[in-house]
Amino acid sequence: MKYLTYILRNARRNPARTGLTIASIAISMFLMMILTSFFAAMQEANSASRQYNRIIVMNANGFAGVVPIARVRQIAAMDGVVAATPFAWYGGKYQNQRVLFAQFGVDADSVFDTLEEFHLPDDQLAAFKADKAGAVVGPKLAREYGLKIGDAMPLQGDVYPVDLKLNIHGIYESPRNSDQRMVLFHHDYLDDQLRLLGPSSSSGSSATQPSGRAGNAGIVFVRCKDAAATAALCKKVDDEYRSTDNPTRTQTEEAFGQMFSEMMGGMKDMVFWIGCAVVVSLLFVAGNAMAMAMRERTMEIAVLKAIGFGKGLVLTLVLVEAVLVAGLGGALGTLGSKALFDLFDVSPYTGGFLPFFYVPWRVALAGLGVSLFVGFVSGVVPAVMAAGSSVVDGLRKVV
Amino acid sequence: MIPFKYNVRNLRARWKTTTMTVLGIALLVASSCIMFGLVEGLEKSLKISGDPLDLIVLRKGATAETTGGFDTGKADELLTLGGILRDGEGPVAAKELLNIAVAERHSGTYGNLIIRGVQPASRKLRSDFKIIAGRDLEPGKGECIVPPGIARVYKGARIGGLLAFGEKERYRVVGLFTAGGGSAESEVWADLKDVERNTGRDGTVSCVQIRASGPAEFDRLREEIEQGAQFRLAAHPESRYFETQSDAATFLKAAGTLIAVLLTFGAMFAAANTMFSAVKSRTREIGTLRALGFSRRDVLFSFLGESLLLSLLGGGLGLLATIPMSLLSIETMNMNTFASVNIAFRIGPWVMAVALVMTLAMGIFGGMLPALRAVRLEVVSALREL
Repeated sequence: MKYLTYILRNARRNPARTGLTIASIAISMFLMMILTSFFAAMQEANSASRQYNRIIVMNANGFAGVVPIARVRQIAAMDGVVAATPFAWYGGKYQNQRVLFAQFGVDADSVFDTLEEFHLPDDQLAAFKADKAGAVVGPKLAREYGLKIGDAMPLQGDVYPVDLKLNIHGIYESPRNSDQRMVLFHHDYLDDQLRLLGPSSSSGSSATQPSGRAGNAGIVFVRCKDAAATAALCKKVDDEYRSTDNPTRTQTEEAFGQMFSEMMGGMKDMVFWIGCAVVVSLLFVAGNAMAMAMRERTMEIAVLKAIGFGKGLVLTLVLVEAVLVAGLGGALGTLGSKALFDLFDVSPYTGGFLPFFYVPWRVALAGLGVSLFVGFVSGVVPAVMAAGSSVVDGLRKVV
Repeated sequence: MIPFKYNVRNLRARWKTTTMTVLGIALLVASSCIMFGLVEGLEKSLKISGDPLDLIVLRKGATAETTGGFDTGKADELLTLGGILRDGEGPVAAKELLNIAVAERHSGTYGNLIIRGVQPASRKLRSDFKIIAGRDLEPGKGECIVPPGIARVYKGARIGGLLAFGEKERYRVVGLFTAGGGSAESEVWADLKDVERNTGRDGTVSCVQIRASGPAEFDRLREEIEQGAQFRLAAHPESRYFETQSDAATFLKAAGTLIAVLLTFGAMFAAANTMFSAVKSRTREIGTLRALGFSRRDVLFSFLGESLLLSLLGGGLGLLATIPMSLLSIETMNMNTFASVNIAFRIGPWVMAVALVMTLAMGIFGGMLPALRAVRLEVVSALREL
């Protein structure tokens, strides 16, 4: 501990260099945080969904397939199922603009039982249930568009050839790492309008919706009574519909989310490689700075050794200085970015691309670890050289 | 003026520091080039190099081919309109049906692929369409052609393989095609009739592609399709349609640019660090130069030049390292359609120019403070310094 002052003084004696090293490490770590948090936050939210014991039913052929709406009731009646709701993607436009917030047709009676972490005050829920054209919206969406309870929210069809004239009856509350920009409305409302168009209507077909036909639940969220029931129910649902026109693929909510992040495909690898490149270049930058610092101090180190400092101690002094400088930069970058994204919500500025964004603790701490590692490795060569340098040569050397 | 050789020799004399700095800068420049290349590629991968006379007909209100379906009856009528360019084989116009289905990758994960049911004229409507291996598909035989990016990543997507989507939909792969790097290179192409049959969606089409025979006909066709009582569809000029499709990439582009800029700043600090120590260890030399009669400006330019040289070396090396990248492509998801999109890195002249400008900026700003410090030195005290 008594050497700490010495180390700190050394780190401070060339403020420009130390400052630049810290800055370049901080910026690079900030960047790493942004890159890795994107996937890590998504995964964390995914794993968190495990506690809700939900499974998701979709058509075996993907989102383009149909899950007939009648199955929602059939599944809800199965043993071990607490509640089930359709989740039909409407994909409409708001104010005639293509928007990036999700709009889902759900069963108003069961949606808040199925999504137990989503809360809606009782009076708002009652009002939502009572009005067939009713809707509830997420808090972030309400803030962003200045929506209040009682407002009308007309949506124009894009996927479907029908428009929706929704009335907002509630603003739900949900955990931070869930989508707080959704619009939930009555599935019946959409379905009835589609039914009016008739089966051979002159419009309505798309790659994500086989036709404008009514009666499609989209996907089905099912809440099971406990974790043990989920796997059995996944199998049971799929077996039930295997030989129908629309076989299903049922998986836990976690696996479903995982599937989404897998769709990102090669993006993940690229983020990883860029991260690696940044770490390696940091090694060069920090190592360079440390080597330069040592070169300037050749004589000083010789003096230290001449007055009796051991090799090990000199080695430690140099290493600690390197780790300290890199760690400071790393702490600024990682904890700074964590604080920044915790205090400041960037999701409105991503055009809905990110429903939420934060730096998970796991990632921030890993980043801090990486910066300490960078400091250690960058200090090793200069430290070994300093420890092994000859006292006589060092004292004689004119810098 | 101080000879430039002086700077070159200086960098060589401190070769260890120089190498470390150059490598550090090279890696950061390479990373930011890759980001820029990806942003460029993303833009390109959502577009198509079409003809200014091309129209895409969708249902009114629909914003994308994947969502804009309408009746085959209307589509057939559209193909008979006057004003459509004709060649020996009939009108240069095609009905197309899109399906998005899940397919398995070699890695065992799943992706959503767009399957486009096409008609013979579809190829003429994409001017850069080319079969690069195997042969084109024959209608009605359940065959498909795929772009190389999909052939590489998905199970059964090589020539001769069987590309399976769920239980019911499968196509024999008979050829590989390219389409100038545009959006078609993220799609599987099959025969329209086959797709209709496999998806049970005969009676509807997703879109109709039309090429007008001239600018006047182009405007007339648009009006007829949009106003005509029997159609009431939306006819988008192809160029504008793809413009709106790539809007969805705005955020990704901004994010990619931000990352590249941050990388550049990181590299700038690294260059500045090296230059600072270069100036510091040469204090006496600088004093000597001044005493010999070189002006402050000479010294400033000399150090700026050295910094520029340093970052150009790094930037050049970084650019060289990204050259093989332009052969690669990555597959990811289009957030707009949830379908797979293939992005080929495009390290073109534009990316190279941006990288070069950033490298120069890095050299100038990184070298400015150290150079100013060198200039401010008092000759006498600089000479006295050890």
